[in-house]
Amino acid sequence: MAVYKRRYNSYSGSLTAGWSRFFVLTKYAFAELFKSRFFVILLVLCIVPCLFFAGYIFVANNHTLQLLMQLRSADFFKVESQYFVFMMLSQTQAAFLLNCWVGPVLIAGDLSNGALPLFLSRPFSRADYVLGKLAVLGLLLSAVTWVPCLLLFSLQSGLAMDGWIWSHLWMVVPIVLCSAIWILMLSLLSLAVSAWVKLRIVATGVTFILFYVPTGLGEMFNVIMGSKWGMLLNFSYMFRLILVKAFREREGLVGRAWDEIPVPAAWGVLILVCLLSLVILNARLRARETVRG
Amino acid sequence: MNPTIELNGLEVQLGGRTILHGLTGVLKSRAIGLLGPNGAGKSTLINTLLGFHSPSKGSTRVLGLDAHTSGKALRSLVGYMPENDAFISKMSGVRFVRYMAEVSGLPADQAMERAHEAFVYVGLGEARYRPVGTYSLGMKQLAKLAQAIAHGPKVLILDEPTNGMDPPARKRLIELIREIREASDICLLLSSHLLRDVEETCDEVLILRNGQIASICNLVEERRANRKFLELETIGAEASFTSTLEGLGCECAVFTNGRIKVVMPDGVEIREVFKVAADRGVQIRRMNHRRDSLEDIFLNAMEQTGAPDGRI
Repeated sequence: MAVYKRRYNSYSGSLTAGWSRFFVLTKYAFAELFKSRFFVILLVLCIVPCLFFAGYIFVANNHTLQLLMQLRSADFFKVESQYFVFMMLSQTQAAFLLNCWVGPVLIAGDLSNGALPLFLSRPFSRADYVLGKLAVLGLLLSAVTWVPCLLLFSLQSGLAMDGWIWSHLWMVVPIVLCSAIWILMLSLLSLAVSAWVKLRIVATGVTFILFYVPTGLGEMFNVIMGSKWGMLLNFSYMFRLILVKAFREREGLVGRAWDEIPVPAAWGVLILVCLLSLVILNARLRARETVRG
Repeated sequence: MNPTIELNGLEVQLGGRTILHGLTGVLKSRAIGLLGPNGAGKSTLINTLLGFHSPSKGSTRVLGLDAHTSGKALRSLVGYMPENDAFISKMSGVRFVRYMAEVSGLPADQAMERAHEAFVYVGLGEARYRPVGTYSLGMKQLAKLAQAIAHGPKVLILDEPTNGMDPPARKRLIELIREIREASDICLLLSSHLLRDVEETCDEVLILRNGQIASICNLVEERRANRKFLELETIGAEASFTSTLEGLGCECAVFTNGRIKVVMPDGVEIREVFKVAADRGVQIRRMNHRRDSLEDIFLNAMEQTGAPDGRI
């Protein structure tokens, strides 16, 4: 089928491995995203706080600089679990904003243009499709959460020496695990919204609403019923609870309901949101819609 | 060699309604037309062949592969041009086709090369760098065809390919489809409600009506038989008129409003028909002398009544 011959020829060349084809979606989605100047600015802004955290580590490990700054207490700059909790809280909020911008366009664009049958008429399953889109958010949100956290952990390990790394190595697990559940929940939720609401702006709005309206409803429930379980609808709070407990930190970081909501319940809520999102994706991602009745 | 399509009691239910009623049949030709009025089940059958719908009973095979149990293997052989709009509006045409080819498994460089070739081949070479969303309806149809052939499929499924195209564009597309069919060993399944599209591109026709097979017809054999017949519009024609014609060796089909189709055997002249009409006091208001066409096969199939085995 060479251009100059203008004749149809079938293809008999090599094919890529079936398992790796979902990355095609990821590749093209990234290419589209990086065309947007706003997205690039947002991504850079999400990474900027890491520079301040890196500066903090530098100061914490530089006694000369501390003397120049005339700090009286040597403990003022400490890089312990609290430092990483703050960093994780800051970066997961950045990830939330990034997710609100990127997530809604990923599936909505394909659905509004009817492109889904084109993907699914190929040797490509719905699971591959979701995986391809999920990888976009997974990679992007990882780049602003656990990856910089681990880099700063390495920086601190390198600068502190004196065996700091061995006494703090356990922190790698909560950094990765807490980031993973947050990224998974955000990604699946925004993909589900993107599949449900085809308009980008509306989908972005709905993603915000899904985080803040249940929180308000939960508060109302708590006030009316005199209960604590309304907090379960506050997804950010549930994540904070998991994070702080995982880092063995103080209650002050979480707030009043400390110890009132069991951590397994918090995990349960986040996993339930993931499962519900999967159910929505399963219902919406069909090559053909079936009208009942 | 495996038949192109095998239908084994295929029944498909959607939303609580039975859309396809136990279809059974074998289609062996390389170019198969799928005909039927709106709502006959053409698109449902295509969607079932692609594995989008699961059969509630029975099965269907394409080139020997079960559409339900070997869906992925089957789809690796298929190029599909859907009926409705299906594209990524912000992407340039060539990038869109390249994307689809990569999803089909072509390496990036091969996908790029074949996307350009496919675009030039369908006649959109000049417009390949424009976003697909800015294309006219006819151009979008061609872009959909380009994405369906870019990865070099063994089976090309075209669902109403000439929808929304002006006559010259339609003619060009039909020519392309014929070229594709003749230039390779590709199997073609073309669904349309335009008889001419099917007649010009296909060798065998599956006619559906109300989710049942109304007819399976080998057009090549029909063309070879090439029977002559008369279309009559009469007043006062009764059973004795047709029975006299049948006595002469003609085959008659009586339709509403005095319309009669008469298949003429060799040796019987038209004036003998006039003579019988004059003897019986039948007025022949209009006469059309022609050869058998897909339209006749289709109309016959549409006027027959159904049987419980999925075949009318």
